[in-house]
Amino acid sequence: MKRRAFLVALPALASCARSRRPRLNVFNWSNYVAPGTVPNFEAESGAQVRYAIYESNEEMLARVMSGNSGWDVVFPSNYLVSPLREMGLLSRLRREWIPNLSNLDPRFRAPDWDPQLDWSAPYMWGACGILYSRRLTPAPARWADLWDQRLSGRVTMLDDPGEVLGACLQKLGHPINSTDPAQLRAAGREAIAQKRLLRAYLNAEVRDQVVAGDVLAAQMWATTAQQAIDVSSNLAFAFPAEGFSLYADNAVVLRESKRPELAHRFIDYLLGPRAGADIVLASRTATTNRAAQALLPDAVRNSPTLYPSPEVLRRGEWFRALPPAAQRLRDRLWTEIKSA
Amino acid sequence: MNRLRNAFLAPAWVVFTLLFFAPLAVIAAYSLATRGTYGGVSAPASLESWVRLADPLYLVILLRSFALAGVATFICLLLGFPLALFIARAGARRNLYLQLVIVPFWTSFLVRTYAWMFLLRETGLVNSALMALGLTREPLPLLYNNGAVILGLVYGYLPFMVLPLYATLERMDRALLEAAADLGARSWSALWRVVIPLSAPGIRAGSVLVFIPCLGAYLTPDLMGGGKTIMIGNLVQNQFTTARDWPFGSALSLALMVIVMVLLMALVRRGGEEGML
Repeated sequence: MKRRAFLVALPALASCARSRRPRLNVFNWSNYVAPGTVPNFEAESGAQVRYAIYESNEEMLARVMSGNSGWDVVFPSNYLVSPLREMGLLSRLRREWIPNLSNLDPRFRAPDWDPQLDWSAPYMWGACGILYSRRLTPAPARWADLWDQRLSGRVTMLDDPGEVLGACLQKLGHPINSTDPAQLRAAGREAIAQKRLLRAYLNAEVRDQVVAGDVLAAQMWATTAQQAIDVSSNLAFAFPAEGFSLYADNAVVLRESKRPELAHRFIDYLLGPRAGADIVLASRTATTNRAAQALLPDAVRNSPTLYPSPEVLRRGEWFRALPPAAQRLRDRLWTEIKSA
Repeated sequence: MNRLRNAFLAPAWVVFTLLFFAPLAVIAAYSLATRGTYGGVSAPASLESWVRLADPLYLVILLRSFALAGVATFICLLLGFPLALFIARAGARRNLYLQLVIVPFWTSFLVRTYAWMFLLRETGLVNSALMALGLTREPLPLLYNNGAVILGLVYGYLPFMVLPLYATLERMDRALLEAAADLGARSWSALWRVVIPLSAPGIRAGSVLVFIPCLGAYLTPDLMGGGKTIMIGNLVQNQFTTARDWPFGSALSLALMVIVMVLLMALVRRGGEEGML
């Protein structure tokens, strides 16, 4: 049986070896392309794409830090673009190879983390807020509402130190990227005070429990919240009054890439209007691609969860890379919170 | 003769060196380095990660891990012993029952843990059944607490207790029980004074096989505990992910290894010439 399988596989192997198609290696977040994205690019470019996914920036970092990871294109979050550049891992973008950069929403043509878009092309973005059941009256509108006794056992926070400490800092009126030890410690105490009300620290997996009604309010990313709201009209999403976090994931070309031109071509393809629109329809994520947005159905394009109004967005704060001392204190506080 | 023995042992040594000692040396070296800002390690060498181990915060987590793993092991023993005894005396059906003990391994542990979460959640089967029977009015909080973590550990590692227990019980000489009965022992006292002492090696082996993986568990506390309980395994995992502190993660895992080895050696010594397994 085994031998037969081997014999069947042999011609396939041989044809692999024979193919002289250029190969592009793309390492992206899960759920960040449509089913047709990669095959369509392969058909259009004649290249062969090795596509793999990761679930956290750290997972990707650990691989590419060697400078010899075998990947050409990866998608770091905004706060990692500068560190990656400083570590000499990025290749400067050749803008003439990415004409579709002009499809970007004006907000993302000169972002804080890379004002000239020299190193990164913004791809997707999102916010963190409160997903809640409409049965809750009054509806939660502030982070502080998640400290309400009535929610005991029916509220969750994300299992993510940056987001939990961020929400606690904002509740106290401090900036999300605070490095002040006193502010951070106060935020840690807030989190510990909240912990006995919490059902759990859950990421995207809480979605089903909110839909089922087990959980009434959850700190949640807008993308995941949108997926829940699509399933149940009984749910809504709030951008907390004290402020909320923002992130953006960006396509970059690694310096180690041996096919920079093909890598740029792939990024240009993702930023095309049709490909971009298909990706949004499949992933329900907020895109930076304005031309793609124009092709979307009204309900998706005008979703207040994915695309909040400029007034709301003004309360958002972008995550930044933190100095080692602050990072270390945050890690310790997170362990204290989890151990409390 | 000796040369032949060495030749046969060579592959094992190669595998051990490449897959065990070399990675271990890497971890030991990492534990003495300085944390790289974005993960990884950098110069200069320092003992800081080792000094940090003495922080009471981490000792509490270590103690909690020991307590949870200890309780889980004890429950496994309580459940596993009667089961192993039953299987050892099941005659022709023995093999069938042994297969059944192993059947859960056919599915990934992750999938089985998710299945438990579906059973235990508020709208899950257990709560729905209890409420339908009128035994409870409100759904019980079965998930996301220490009880759920222990349940997950017991479920996951019970077979590791049953199999070594079965091995010792099955080998036990039945004549000894008859002798105990002849000398006037009722079944309970025969169990206490003959069966259990004779199965001590199996109890020791099963307890070690359950306790050690429980001590390092990170999936179960994360999923069944809803991230509200942190065990030493989660702490190590965090150092390599969100905290990006590889030296401290390395020091933690080496310290855990040393503790486990000391415990094992103490047990082996107590086991004496009976042997461990």
